[in-house]
Amino acid sequence: MAGRAAAVERPVGSRRLTAAVLVAPATAVVVVGIFLPILLLFRFSLNRFVPGKFMVEALTAANYVKFATDPFYVAVLARTLRVALVVTATCLALGFPVAYWLARTASRHKNLFLLLVVLPLFVGNAVRAAGWMVMFGSKGFLNSVLGGLGLIGTPLTLMYTEGAVIVGIVAINLPFVVLTLQSVIEGIDRSLEEAALGLGAGPFTTFRRALLPLAMPGVLAGGTLCFILAMNAYATPVLLGGPRFQVMGPLVYRTFVGQNNWPFGAAIAFVLMTATLALSVASNVVLQRRYRR
Amino acid sequence: MATHESFHPTRRHFLQGAGAVTAALALSPRRPASAQAASRIVLGTWGGDYSKLLTKNVEAHLAPRKIQVEHAIGGDPERRAKLLAEARLPRGTSDLQALSAANMFEMKEAGVLETLDYGKIENARNLLPQMKYPYGVGHIYSGKVILFNPKMIGHAPTSFADTLDPKHGEKLGIIDIQYQFTMMAAALASGGSMSSFEPGKERLLAVKKAGVRIYPTNEALAQALKNEEIGICIMWKARAVQWQNAGITVETVAAKEGVPLYVSGFAIPKNAQNKDGAYAYLNAMLEPSAQEGFAQDMGYNPTVKNAKVPEATQKRIGFTAEEQQRLKDLDYAYIAKNDSALKEWWDKVFKG
Repeated sequence: MAGRAAAVERPVGSRRLTAAVLVAPATAVVVVGIFLPILLLFRFSLNRFVPGKFMVEALTAANYVKFATDPFYVAVLARTLRVALVVTATCLALGFPVAYWLARTASRHKNLFLLLVVLPLFVGNAVRAAGWMVMFGSKGFLNSVLGGLGLIGTPLTLMYTEGAVIVGIVAINLPFVVLTLQSVIEGIDRSLEEAALGLGAGPFTTFRRALLPLAMPGVLAGGTLCFILAMNAYATPVLLGGPRFQVMGPLVYRTFVGQNNWPFGAAIAFVLMTATLALSVASNVVLQRRYRR
Repeated sequence: MATHESFHPTRRHFLQGAGAVTAALALSPRRPASAQAASRIVLGTWGGDYSKLLTKNVEAHLAPRKIQVEHAIGGDPERRAKLLAEARLPRGTSDLQALSAANMFEMKEAGVLETLDYGKIENARNLLPQMKYPYGVGHIYSGKVILFNPKMIGHAPTSFADTLDPKHGEKLGIIDIQYQFTMMAAALASGGSMSSFEPGKERLLAVKKAGVRIYPTNEALAQALKNEEIGICIMWKARAVQWQNAGITVETVAAKEGVPLYVSGFAIPKNAQNKDGAYAYLNAMLEPSAQEGFAQDMGYNPTVKNAKVPEATQKRIGFTAEEQQRLKDLDYAYIAKNDSALKEWWDKVFKG
């Protein structure tokens, strides 16, 4: 008891110190491991690239101007955005019903079902992409089955297409969306839905007017997470999209490593980071305003 | 109320603990990866078969000298980026780097490679003169030839012009990471030269329009050859031999425009910590038996005159006297100067 009393009476300065000790290690990791490299990367992006000389120190916006004025790079950014938006919309559409069912089920196997959702995360992205390659190849599983059933004469081109990339990323991101939505939906009182139904609203109206606005924090969190992951996808576009399907993540890598052009690679990385951040913040602001009561 | 024993470290405890940690570190048999010890070298190399064959064929010769070799495995772009990034450090993390001749030249231009003292490499007296670069030693070589499946391609091609031809449509395959040699072959087929790839661009765009298939890696193209998704391509003769061994139906032709040379070698970074060990390695890799091992196992030609390759193997991997006349060394200065622009064209226009 005496100890408890002492804790209550501890001076404010001491509590601040405890908080600082608790926060310091994570902060140090973020500062040293993320902020400093980002600052360095930004500095690189202002340098000049001279073939054979690697990187020449300068203070120029030429790399950003090159990105913004070259239709090729703008198209790569647009393609990345398109893929990320389609993946996010698909994951939310497919994930919501699953998350709702998981949140509301009274089954004693609920934990097992949750484990099944998490299970794919135990396998790395590249390994899963390899699985899709077996599935999508011209002599792969899908073409063999469709051909065997006599549904197709010549094999369908499934590999190295935008569709293959979208399917691959959706499969990776879906568990994140389901888990985020499920935890939020579980916190929504079921009686609110019952009240809506009792007051004469149909299931769709109940979803639109009661459930969705209340689940909006989950939709925003899950959607943002999914969007960020899709914008920065690397292994899936490289393996399932093939050499001609170009999006931002692999472009950053190729510019750094394939062309040894660090200044332009750094600028592309910054454009990707800024676009992802700006769109994530903008969507959060817009949707929060729309559903604020 | 139960009392708990608590730990109150005294200065004595602290000193005892610190002493124990220091002793444990000093006596630990494994040190952190660095190239410091005289008996140990760090070798940057590709993984897979090449790394395994280095262990099997080269490193056996170093055992009597008690030189331990640690492989730092990675693709060559990543290893080159690391070499450049480490250039300012007084002590680098590798003692030797396995690189193609073109990449060795590029690194030499960037000022990160040691100028070699051939007096320290006894076996270099047997080295083919073309493989003796001031900044690196050629280890193995092969040439870019035409590969075709006679079942799918009626008439055997004789030239790069026959091969990089829109008439093949989707039966023609190209490897993304082989962009330099593909542009080189297209240039030779279109009036260009080893120092001017521009004339080949139009031809490449024509085959693109006709539906050429582009594969990300050598292995992906091999799979496509096996599946008969494609029937014609250009590739190292050594790879063709490996693929034939794996049961893939391909025949090879040395193009009449020439056979661009691929040399893979080793270079010592300026800031290597164990240069003596690195020289010992260079000497070991030029041992005739080590070179013969690579010819047998990997299908590449030896770079020393005293290696004896069995006649049957020589016939498959080597080049006839007449073909040797057509071996074309690369214009390394042209490639180093233009590589970035060529790659950008490849990514933006050809693949775009």
